[in-house]
Amino acid sequence: MSEKVIELKGSVLSLTVLHLHSADINETKAALARKIEQAPSFFVGIPIILEPKIEISDPTFLALLVEYLHQLQMIPIGLRSQDPMIQSQANFAGLAIFPEDTRRPTTKEKKDEQSADKQGAEEPQNYAPVVLDEGGLKSALVIERAVRSGQQVYAKDRDLIILGSVNPGAEIIADGNITVFGKMQGKAIAGSSGEMEAKIFAKQLDPELVCIAGVYQLADDIAEEFKGNGLVEVKLQQEQLVINHI
Amino acid sequence: MSRVIVVTSGKGGVGKTTTSASISTALALKGNKVAVIDFDVGLRNLDLIMGVERRVVYDFVNVVQGEATLKQALIKDKRVEGLYILAASQTRDKDALTLEGVEKVIEELKADGFDYIICDSPAGIEKGAQLALYFADEAIVVTNPEVSSVRDSDRILGILQAKSRRAEKGEDPVVEHLVLTRYNPSRVNAGEMLSHDDVIDLLSIKLLGVVPESQEVLNASNSGEPVVLNDNSDAAQAYLDIVERFLGEEKEHRFLTEEKKGFLNKLFGKK
Repeated sequence: MSEKVIELKGSVLSLTVLHLHSADINETKAALARKIEQAPSFFVGIPIILEPKIEISDPTFLALLVEYLHQLQMIPIGLRSQDPMIQSQANFAGLAIFPEDTRRPTTKEKKDEQSADKQGAEEPQNYAPVVLDEGGLKSALVIERAVRSGQQVYAKDRDLIILGSVNPGAEIIADGNITVFGKMQGKAIAGSSGEMEAKIFAKQLDPELVCIAGVYQLADDIAEEFKGNGLVEVKLQQEQLVINHI
Repeated sequence: MSRVIVVTSGKGGVGKTTTSASISTALALKGNKVAVIDFDVGLRNLDLIMGVERRVVYDFVNVVQGEATLKQALIKDKRVEGLYILAASQTRDKDALTLEGVEKVIEELKADGFDYIICDSPAGIEKGAQLALYFADEAIVVTNPEVSSVRDSDRILGILQAKSRRAEKGEDPVVEHLVLTRYNPSRVNAGEMLSHDDVIDLLSIKLLGVVPESQEVLNASNSGEPVVLNDNSDAAQAYLDIVERFLGEEKEHRFLTEEKKGFLNKLFGKK
C-alpha cells in the first residue's frame, strides 16, 4: 500500500470565542489589554474566533482588531456572525466564517457575564470542550446478533466483538482488533486506519476475505487446515498475513 | 389486535405467493378474518393462485391512488369464510405504490377488524419489497434449500432489521419465521440440496415449517386453488402445521426425512 501524503478528516475542536460588545475599536482594544495583563502568557498563540454581539458599522473595525490581536500574539482564525456586512469584512481580513452558535447560554456563561467587565470586550470564554477523540479507554463495540449479507459494521478507533455469526456478503471493519464468536464467513477488515498490530480472532474462520492494515487474503489463499477448524488468529508479520491456531 | 405479516424471500420463484395463499387460507379456516395483499404490482400472481383472477375489478393500486374504495377492491373468497384478496395491478409498475398510500390501506384494514393482514412481497430488495415489509409485525421468510436462495433471505432479513417501521421507530423488532419450501429429503441425502439444519444454522431464525417438494403444489396453482385446501397432500399438511405453529401450537416437524415406501404403496405405485 502506498504511503498517505494527505488525509482530510473531520474533527471537533475546542476553541476560544471572543464576544464583542462594543463597536468602538479603542474601547475594545483597551479592554483586551486589561484582560491580557492578568495572564499574559496564557493568550500567546491561541486561536480565536470573533463573535460580534452588536452591529458594527465601522468598516475598518475588524481589520484593526485582527491587527491588534496579532500584536498581542493571538491568532484570530475566524468569525461567527450572520451579518453580511461584517462577513464581507472578514473576507478581506482573511478570516473563516463559522455558522452562528445555536446553543442556549449555559449557567457558566451567565455567571461569567455577571463577573465580566461590562465595558469593552468580554473575557474570552472557554466553551466546554466537545472533543471526541481524547484517547484513554475506549471499549470494544459488541454486536450481539448475526451480521447479515449486505450489512456492514464499522468500529471506529476501537475493537469489534461479534457474538453471532458474520454471514457471507457481510462486512465487519474495525480500526482495532476483531473477534468473532460465531462463524466468520463474510469479510473481516481489522486495523482499517493502518494499525499494523491489529489482529483477527475467529472460532470458525471461513471468510471471503481477511485484511489487516490493507494487507489482505482471499478465501482461496487461506489454507484449508484453518477453515472452520477451531480458534485461529490472523496477524500481520513483515507485511504478510499469518494465520495460526491458538 | 391486527397483525401485519409479510411473506418475503429476496429471491424470486421460491414459493412466496403459494405460501401467502395457503397461509392466509389456513388462517381464515381457523376462524380469523384475513386480508391478503399482492404487492407484486405489474406481475400479479396471487389472484391466479387464489382463483379469483376473473373477479378483479379494482386493484391495490386503484385504492392506493384513491380511484376506488377498499370495499370495492377487496375480493371475498367463495370457498373460505373470512378470507379477502386485494389483487395487484397488471398494468402499472411498482412506482404506483406510495408509502402513505400503503399505510392508509393497512390502517383501514386494521380499523375494519381484520385479524391478519398478509403482504405478499415481490422478489428483489427494491421499493416494492421494501414497501411490503415496512409495516410488518411479523415476517415469514420463504427459502429454498439452495445457496443463492439462502443468501438472498439473509439479505432480506438484514433489510427487515434496518428498514422496517419497527426498526425505524426503535420498537420491538419484527418477529422472523422461516419456511423452507421445495424440500426434498432424498436430494438432501444425496448432497444436492442443503439440509434444513444448514439453512437454520446460517440464517439463525426459528423454523416455522418445511414444505416438501410436490407435484400437488403445481397442480393446485394451475387450478387456482390454494394447495392447503387439498387435504390429502403432504404440502397441505405442511401448511396446516405451519399455521398451527404460527398460532402458538407445539407440533413436531414433519417431512424432514425420506419417506419409506410401504408395501402397498409399492404394489399400487402410489407416489
